[in-house]
Amino acid sequence: MKKTLIALAFASALTSAAQAQDMVFTSWGGTTQDAQAAHWAAPFTAKGGPAVVQDGPTDYGKIKAMVEAGAVTWDVVDAEYDWALQAGAQGLLEPLDFSVIDKTKLDPRFVSDFAVGSFYYSFVLGWNPANFADAQPATLADLFDTAKFPGKRTFYKWSAPGVIEAALLADGVAPEALYPLDLDRAFAKLDTIKADIIWWEGGAQSQQLLASGEAPIGFFWNGRLSALQADGMPVGISWDQNITAADALVVPKGAKNKDAAMKLIAEATSAEGQAAFAAATGYAPVNLGSAALMDPAVRATLPDAQTAVQVNADMAYWAQHRDEIGNRWYAWQAQ
Amino acid sequence: MFSAITAGRRGSGLGFALPAVLLLFAFFVVPVAALLTRSVTEPELGLQNYAVLVGSSTYARIFFNTFFVSGVVTLITVLIAFPVAWALAIMPSRWASIIFAIILLSMWTNLLARTYAWMVLLQQTGLINRSLMALGLIDAPLQLTNNLVGVTIGMVYIMLPFMILPLMGVIKKIDPAILQAAALCGATKAQALRRVLIPLAGPGIASGALMVFVMSLGYYVTPSLLGGTANMMLAELIAQQVQSLVNWGMGGAAAFLLLVVTLGLYAVQLRFFDAKEAR
Repeated sequence: MKKTLIALAFASALTSAAQAQDMVFTSWGGTTQDAQAAHWAAPFTAKGGPAVVQDGPTDYGKIKAMVEAGAVTWDVVDAEYDWALQAGAQGLLEPLDFSVIDKTKLDPRFVSDFAVGSFYYSFVLGWNPANFADAQPATLADLFDTAKFPGKRTFYKWSAPGVIEAALLADGVAPEALYPLDLDRAFAKLDTIKADIIWWEGGAQSQQLLASGEAPIGFFWNGRLSALQADGMPVGISWDQNITAADALVVPKGAKNKDAAMKLIAEATSAEGQAAFAAATGYAPVNLGSAALMDPAVRATLPDAQTAVQVNADMAYWAQHRDEIGNRWYAWQAQ
Repeated sequence: MFSAITAGRRGSGLGFALPAVLLLFAFFVVPVAALLTRSVTEPELGLQNYAVLVGSSTYARIFFNTFFVSGVVTLITVLIAFPVAWALAIMPSRWASIIFAIILLSMWTNLLARTYAWMVLLQQTGLINRSLMALGLIDAPLQLTNNLVGVTIGMVYIMLPFMILPLMGVIKKIDPAILQAAALCGATKAQALRRVLIPLAGPGIASGALMVFVMSLGYYVTPSLLGGTANMMLAELIAQQVQSLVNWGMGGAAAFLLLVVTLGLYAVQLRFFDAKEAR
């Protein structure tokens, strides 16, 4: 009897704790999530929304496990856009409520039934000028040219839009002929520099590799290079054929605070929220009204100022072929 | 009367163990069973995940890497830990306790922080390479990270305490008079080490080595940060399958194979020691 009482007390304490903690936002950590907390969650709570607890990092295995177990503790999650499209089709996500989220102002590239853009970014060629005294690299072909630009090069480790496209573009494929991806050709191109590749797993590591000269050249998220420049480090950036990819905001199926989640996404994708986040991170806004709110000098450093030389990674293609490309990618890495 | 006491003791012993047993059951046995289930039911019922794991040359290579790296790490750890444990055992206790505290402190420091510290030390422009170049010992920086060298250094450092602690326990119990006796009987120092000290310390070496080997088999953070993909280990494969590809079936199969191997090694160890004690 006593035990039951204790158990009951414990259970009710747990429930009330869960009620008190309101809602949970999950992202990738680091300066990006700091900016999301400061420019999306804080104004949302200040305007009368529930307090937002920050959690992370985003973990697709965890989301699937939560949804299947019916115990979803994350309300809004920042995920990669191609995964979001795939997960939406697999029934892992709540459909978004566009009576709450105003999609008319959003970049149509990043709007779908289950996901809207969180921000978009570009993979760009970056290098440490100290390591290349004579000629500076300029194109994706230079990134793959170890004779002209010797040294280790660093690339994103996980299977995602970006590196495969870069290999094909460097090999001479025209941007409009990228899809469907010629994986054989891409891996053959990557094979030519495989021994010189150091993989980065997260943004901070990519910055560390470049700044230390461990990998004097590589393929980076543009915001991470802007951050290094802001810290006073000389960094070379070439926007030539920058490849865009996006993060998405999604609501896992069965999220406990679904209504609040829709409202938080509405706040995050508002012109103000997107403008403030973009200024803080160097990633581009998905709200078309944000540009007017931003300092032109800051805007010039963002991917949306580089659309003329931009190549869009095809998120729908990736969503369909994610597993097939991923399996091949990891097998190739381990060989 | 006597049997009643022992019976009572046994009962209360079980009672004390109950929280631990329940905890293990709820948070280890149940999830492992669930993982095993998924490995034979996803994406469909059958052993296809295991067939892929066993049949592919890529995965065979990852299995080989896992055992190879763990083996190298274990061997080097034993070679470094033995003299340290020996020195600690014979040192004046005040000094020994200071060194012991340093070893423990390093163990209590966050694993990720320690691994990042090694990254900073070992990289091309890191302290080690710069010092060697300043001393004129090398002309170009050595490649010490993103390869087998990096993983080995990082993991040996992390595993050392797990080897030193059991070794110290065993060596401390060895009566110094035995070594004096060996010397009196004309054994050289090398002979005393090889024929007296090492056999006596054998159980400590074996249990420490097993612990280090098994811990290494499942290690993730250090290989992933200090090693390159050419030395990819099993834990990284599991992370890729579950986190990136959301393929719980394949991840579960790999995790289960790792568990089976680990249990197998443990069984061998038990056998080995039982036989030894019976002799």
